[in-house]
Amino acid sequence: MSSLNFIGKTSVRDNIRLTDNPKYPVFKNLYVKQKKAVWFPEELNIQQDVLDYKSLNPTEKDLFDSAVGYFASSELLVQNVLGNGFFPVLTDPYVKMSFTAQMFMENIHSDFFEIILNTFDMDRKRVYNITLEDKLLMEKQELIIRAVDRITYGKADPDSLEGKKQILTSILLNNIIQEGLFFYSAFAHFFAMKDVGKMKNVVSGVELVLIDESLHLQNGIEAILTIIEENPEIVDDIKFVENIRDTIIDAVELELNYLKTKFGGTTIFGVSYKELEQYMKYIADRRLEELGFDPQFKISQNPLKFLQKEDVKKLTNFFEVSSTEYTNF
Amino acid sequence: MQRIVVKRDGTEEKFQMKKLINAIFALLDGLDIPDDYEIVFKVAKELDLKIPQRVTTEELDYLVLKAIEQLIPKHLIYDTLASRQLLKIINRRIDRRFGSFKDYIEYGVRQNLLKEELLNFDIDYLEQNIDYSRDSLIDYFGLTTLKDRYLTKDREFEIIEKPQWFFMRVAMGIGNNEEEILKIYNKISNLEYLHSTPTLYNSGTTTNQYSSCYVNVIDDSLESIMDKAKETAFLAKYAGGVGTDVTRIRATGSKIHSLNAKSSGIIPFIKIFDTIVNAIQQGGRRRSSQVMYLQPWHLDIDAFLDLRETTGNPYFRTPSLNTAVWMPDEIMRRIKEGEPLYLFDPAECPELVTSHGEEFTKHYFECIEKAETGQLKMWKKIDSQEFFNRYLFKLAKTGHPWLTFKDRHNEHNPCPEYSVINSSNLCTEISIPNSPESTAVCTLASVNLARHINEDKTDIDWDKLKDTIETMVLALDNILDKNFYPSEESRKNTMDLRPLGIGLMGFAEALVDLGIPYDSDAAVDMAEKIAKFMRDTAYKKSQKLAEERGAFLHYEEMKKAGKPYPYPPRRNAVLLAIAPTASISIIAGTTSSIDSYFSNIYSRDTLSGKFIVINKKLMEELDKKGLWNEEIAEKIKSQGGSIQYIQELEGNINKSLYKTAYEIHPYRQIKIAAAFQKYIDQAVSKSLYIEEDLRNKMFDIYMYAWEEGLKSTYYCFIDKTVKGEKYMQKVNKRGSRRGFGLLKERVKASQSENNQEYELKEIEEKAREKYGDEIVEKVKSGNIEACPTDPLLSKICPSCE
Ligand SMILES: [Fe+2]
Ligand SMILES: [Fe+2]
Repeated sequence: MSSLNFIGKTSVRDNIRLTDNPKYPVFKNLYVKQKKAVWFPEELNIQQDVLDYKSLNPTEKDLFDSAVGYFASSELLVQNVLGNGFFPVLTDPYVKMSFTAQMFMENIHSDFFEIILNTFDMDRKRVYNITLEDKLLMEKQELIIRAVDRITYGKADPDSLEGKKQILTSILLNNIIQEGLFFYSAFAHFFAMKDVGKMKNVVSGVELVLIDESLHLQNGIEAILTIIEENPEIVDDIKFVENIRDTIIDAVELELNYLKTKFGGTTIFGVSYKELEQYMKYIADRRLEELGFDPQFKISQNPLKFLQKEDVKKLTNFFEVSSTEYTNF
Repeated sequence: MQRIVVKRDGTEEKFQMKKLINAIFALLDGLDIPDDYEIVFKVAKELDLKIPQRVTTEELDYLVLKAIEQLIPKHLIYDTLASRQLLKIINRRIDRRFGSFKDYIEYGVRQNLLKEELLNFDIDYLEQNIDYSRDSLIDYFGLTTLKDRYLTKDREFEIIEKPQWFFMRVAMGIGNNEEEILKIYNKISNLEYLHSTPTLYNSGTTTNQYSSCYVNVIDDSLESIMDKAKETAFLAKYAGGVGTDVTRIRATGSKIHSLNAKSSGIIPFIKIFDTIVNAIQQGGRRRSSQVMYLQPWHLDIDAFLDLRETTGNPYFRTPSLNTAVWMPDEIMRRIKEGEPLYLFDPAECPELVTSHGEEFTKHYFECIEKAETGQLKMWKKIDSQEFFNRYLFKLAKTGHPWLTFKDRHNEHNPCPEYSVINSSNLCTEISIPNSPESTAVCTLASVNLARHINEDKTDIDWDKLKDTIETMVLALDNILDKNFYPSEESRKNTMDLRPLGIGLMGFAEALVDLGIPYDSDAAVDMAEKIAKFMRDTAYKKSQKLAEERGAFLHYEEMKKAGKPYPYPPRRNAVLLAIAPTASISIIAGTTSSIDSYFSNIYSRDTLSGKFIVINKKLMEELDKKGLWNEEIAEKIKSQGGSIQYIQELEGNINKSLYKTAYEIHPYRQIKIAAAFQKYIDQAVSKSLYIEEDLRNKMFDIYMYAWEEGLKSTYYCFIDKTVKGEKYMQKVNKRGSRRGFGLLKERVKASQSENNQEYELKEIEEKAREKYGDEIVEKVKSGNIEACPTDPLLSKICPSCE
């Protein structure tokens, strides 16, 4: 049993017993954290934002709709990737629990965006089509889809070095690039709204999504680092390693191109393209360093200073804004 | 790339940083600041990133504001600058429309926004007494809150009121003559006290509604339920919060004789109110505005505890309502001593509803006796401790129901002949006798204690405090006769009892000024001293008012009926209530109510958005001592706003003055509330802050609150442990693992191997030059006794020679 690696082929009879001495304690920890973070969209009073929504100007509304449209389909995309992609090759029970906790949370998120869709009476077809019509948004998703489709249904052998590299790549694309870069870009748009006092209850929900996603990001980082620790020969392939780094940097490029189309020569909710550019690079450097790479852009400070409000303890005026400080556990 | 500024008239000009920098310098006018260049440079640097290619002048003003706002956590000066910039933005637009305060008042009356009676005052005289320099007392968070929610807007939602005009408008809606108006204006514009939010919104306007709270009672009949639904709808419409007692409504399964059917219990009826409140909330300025009170012996208590759950059948959930338990002593005693709890149907045991204290206990025992001897149709016996723990779990999880103590409220009822006190209100600070025919109303105002410290900061300025409280009694009593009452029941209660609610904010800030740690016995003593002073002063003033204006009606009626109350005549049945002051403490820029500082740096979510709040007292002290810098600021932030474990501050400041809410034991929080409660004739609304580690001690904590004699508790905040990734501070998630860095290390390692080889060759060559080939060959072949550290170089290595 203990000879099993982090990824590999197992029978359904394997590893159905938990032990108090888990092989990967960090995933037990991550499971507990995710459990504590569970929330439900009904806890937020989203209908309070209806008037706000109607008062958004066309650029603001476009930004909001695009962010919702992007999340609405991406949440379930993440779930698909986990379910069809690398969940089948995980071996350890606590690791599986941690990733299924993530899958459950993605339900909550897509449920949350669904409620937003209904509450503001948004055009469902149009919202879901946003990721098809906007070429750059589509490419952001396609990047992940292409890589994951290459490994599903046994196409990648988790016991071979090549298979391991493919699986690692799709974890990277999903949990680091999608959840840790693309999502973080859209988070900033939402937080900028609250900063100017708009869509506050929706954004309270996004604050909860952020907590969840930062845990998912950790799932991904831990998985990648563990796979490398167990299979150091992966990094013998210098080209592969360089490729991973390039993938992250290309993703930043892609995101910046997208942001340019939205923020180009203007500011929305008081935020400009230049600030977002620095912000994305700052976040990308974090991801690079978390995986053991040197930083690329070397931005010393997060330029979106209003985000420091997310870093400190929070007190809510209960009668005014949905609180996100209660725990279900 | 040349950026373009689009001016108000549509013309365009090249963007010039110089112009902008001059404008920022102008904000510093009159401030004594040594490093003004550095400050302006910092703001300009923030701005440079923000300004897009095309920008309007208005947008530019706003971006300057945002740039300054971002720097607020760095130094107090940025807060001042941000307020000045915001004020500039507000005033500039108003100055385009109105030449004077008088212009504004006349416009407001013409537009039917303001009361016509305002024109009867000598407006020119009042205008001469407006002091615009007081704008500087309002900090950025306060000014933003004023701007978004309090300053009057015209029909196009454009602000038409400057902050000082706002204070004067509020005063004009309260004072009966110019002298009273100026007295009130001077007090509130100096932030020495503030009226509650509805008064600040509506005073002097055509929405003549000044009151914060209403407390009504629903009887056990469909007629009463629908009557109260209508009353609630009207009360909620005018931005009042409503407390409602539902204990009389019969339990699920209880017989309805007129229909020969069984009742569906209280939950479906409560749901009606949830729907009403939700409908009225749409577009409102405040969220939830009703709380339902139930006594815990009611058979439907279990479903009641679940009302704020977020999952389950939505028909049994009330997301827009608040809930509270009205807890009798006898039941707390049973919980404490582990005796069983009996649940009853109020239709069968109506005597339990209004009785309290020993009388309730007597009836409760009788009901138990009846139940056990088969004389009751419906009852249930449950484990009281298990019940209480379940209740506490719901409180921690959903924030509801709050815990309030029926007998504590009732034993201090000044008018027991009028009625019992059936419940408290939306914020749990009200304690006024009421009944289905008489809806309690309370109009609130709160002293800002932080503005009542003497000059050398050794004590409270008691004379000033006396003056403030006397002004408040007068102002609040005035309001009762000007107020619009949405229902006959609410008018009746006010006219009979004339209740006032004078409260307090800035207690924690005042303590810091006086050098008293919140977490100390001295703070408890101070709390008691202040509360006693407030009571004595307010009562004396009310007695004096009774001489001029007459005592409250019910007092006189009892006297006439030959059953006089054993206290001297006063104008108001009750006078004091400590409200949470969530919003007005922001305007006043101080700590809320009697709470400690929440944290030394934290963010606050309000209707105006999210704000970062810093303990200004701490920042000031550190700055004065030269200890404030970005490193310290970051450290405080990374410690969740705590300074208790920051080494650098050790011995430099009194750290205990700056403990945050979760660092103060709940017992101490309760002690302070209890000290106030001793003299506050209504109630003290007290939220408790409980650190995650103490969560399993909640039973003891709430038991202690009861034993210490609190009338009310409010929200229970539990420090949330799972947080998102930090945005500003880097966190090392990788630890010592190398990840893809492994490759990098290998490359380096092989490089250094090469280096080593190269170095060896070099040394060998040097050695050959120095010692000759022979020796070197001998060494290399190992024929010479080898050096223990390096066999190859034994004879050559300087340390071995
Ligand atoms: Fe998600
Ligand atoms: Fe996720």
